[in-house]
Amino acid sequence: MPIAVYPGLALTGAKVIDIVTNPQVQFETQLALHERYRTPFVLSAMDLSAEAEAFGCAIHQTETEIPSVVGRLVTNREQAGKLSVPQPGDQRTAVYLETVRRLRQLPDQPLVIGGCIGPFSLAARLVGVSEAMEMTVSEPDLMHLLLEKCASFLTAYLHKFRQAGADGVIMAEPTAGLMSPRAMSQFSSAYIKPIGGAMADQRFAIILHNCAAKLLHLPAVLETGLKTFHFGAPMDMAVALDKVPADVVLCGNLDPVRVFVHLSPAEINLRVRALLAATSAHRNFVLSSGCDLPATVPLASLDAFYAASKQS
Amino acid sequence: MADLKKLHEAVVNGDAKTAKAVTEAALADGVEPLKLVQEYMMPAMAEVGRRFECSEYFVPELLLAARAMKTALELVRPLLTATGAQPVGRVAIGTVKGDLHDIGKNLVAAMLEGGGYEIIDLGVNVTPEQFITAVKEKGANIVAMSALLTTTLPSMKTTVDALKQAGVREQVKILVGGAPVTQKYADDIGADGFSESAAGAVAAAKKAVGA
Repeated sequence: MPIAVYPGLALTGAKVIDIVTNPQVQFETQLALHERYRTPFVLSAMDLSAEAEAFGCAIHQTETEIPSVVGRLVTNREQAGKLSVPQPGDQRTAVYLETVRRLRQLPDQPLVIGGCIGPFSLAARLVGVSEAMEMTVSEPDLMHLLLEKCASFLTAYLHKFRQAGADGVIMAEPTAGLMSPRAMSQFSSAYIKPIGGAMADQRFAIILHNCAAKLLHLPAVLETGLKTFHFGAPMDMAVALDKVPADVVLCGNLDPVRVFVHLSPAEINLRVRALLAATSAHRNFVLSSGCDLPATVPLASLDAFYAASKQS
Repeated sequence: MADLKKLHEAVVNGDAKTAKAVTEAALADGVEPLKLVQEYMMPAMAEVGRRFECSEYFVPELLLAARAMKTALELVRPLLTATGAQPVGRVAIGTVKGDLHDIGKNLVAAMLEGGGYEIIDLGVNVTPEQFITAVKEKGANIVAMSALLTTTLPSMKTTVDALKQAGVREQVKILVGGAPVTQKYADDIGADGFSESAAGAVAAAKKAVGA
């Protein structure tokens, strides 16, 4: 289950800006990959700027890049207090909800997985990522004030994804992986847990993605109470699988750039087989990329990945 | 007499207020500014780097330590300039054109400053011309480039080529880093050094300049 939407550009000829602004283009890009690889699932694109934009952040956008937040929306406690919580569907969050609605209509009924940002990663984009790091120590109350608002929005957003027909979401929380386990527990897991609780009776999976998390973060990650986690290259997947309960699923973790962009198909084959061999004792592992695959990933790399996983 | 060990502690603990207070007291006591930098601040940041490498410290702790050192350095720097003391090197650092991600760049800048380098922080979305200006007009002898996106990687090569065309390539050592960067890519574009981590950037800089 690689996180792959943007590499579909090679099949459709669309541009990144079209994917992140037009739900039909995003749908067609994912459909192209779904049809090529006969995947049992389909995804909306990963875009960690859409929710921040809905809050009011300025966005830098080009034709070829996923948009990114520029500047700082919140610089002090007063601004944090006055910050309004947007509605799901505001700004480009509507694109992702509509994409999910269209994916839900596919006749072969694959699993439909939406995407959203995690609460700490969102709060960090509102105040600036470097600033957020320091503020977890210097101004924790301000961070908690923002986190409450971010979590409130995300809970509503997940409900809308469910209503749109999603079977779950990948919640991307990479910024939390830059902190200590203790800080991750306080500023991320503590907010994700109630979000998960709010969706608990909805038959809706939250797959928590954290591509910066290492083995020492595992206890803090598990505090969220979620059952499915997606990790990046820094995680020792084999050891992590030994540490988690059998009903917790771990996904990952082939490096999106160093494997999928830089390696040859033959080398990718070897990496897939090595990872599957290392994790073969566990039934609760799902082979995946370590993060969202950029548009620059050649289709040959994905071809090699899927071929190797089928062979194994 | 100021307890100078408290300066070391304050930097390691990310306590900018104490770092400033101890530095002020030390300078008032007549302690040599260079001694404060070389015997207390730089070893403190080296300790911070060590803790970061072995996952005792994380990004917040590193940034706070850097801020504590910067606060103390601001008091010391004018005095060092007056004595003619030179930094270990002058680093023009930035995230390359097209890329707006700054946290990796900020971490490397913090570690290099802690290693005794003067930092000329060019920010994000930095054009080759801005790097060239930093070399020609501010005396940078190290150019450090960061990229987080595969699509902005080519800007690193563009910058290396631009430095050659501007006739300043031989004056500088070029360091590169960021998620999509590999040693092979660094070698392919003719960079002098590569580091996978912020803490490793100091060693990469030392190796590149032959220090």
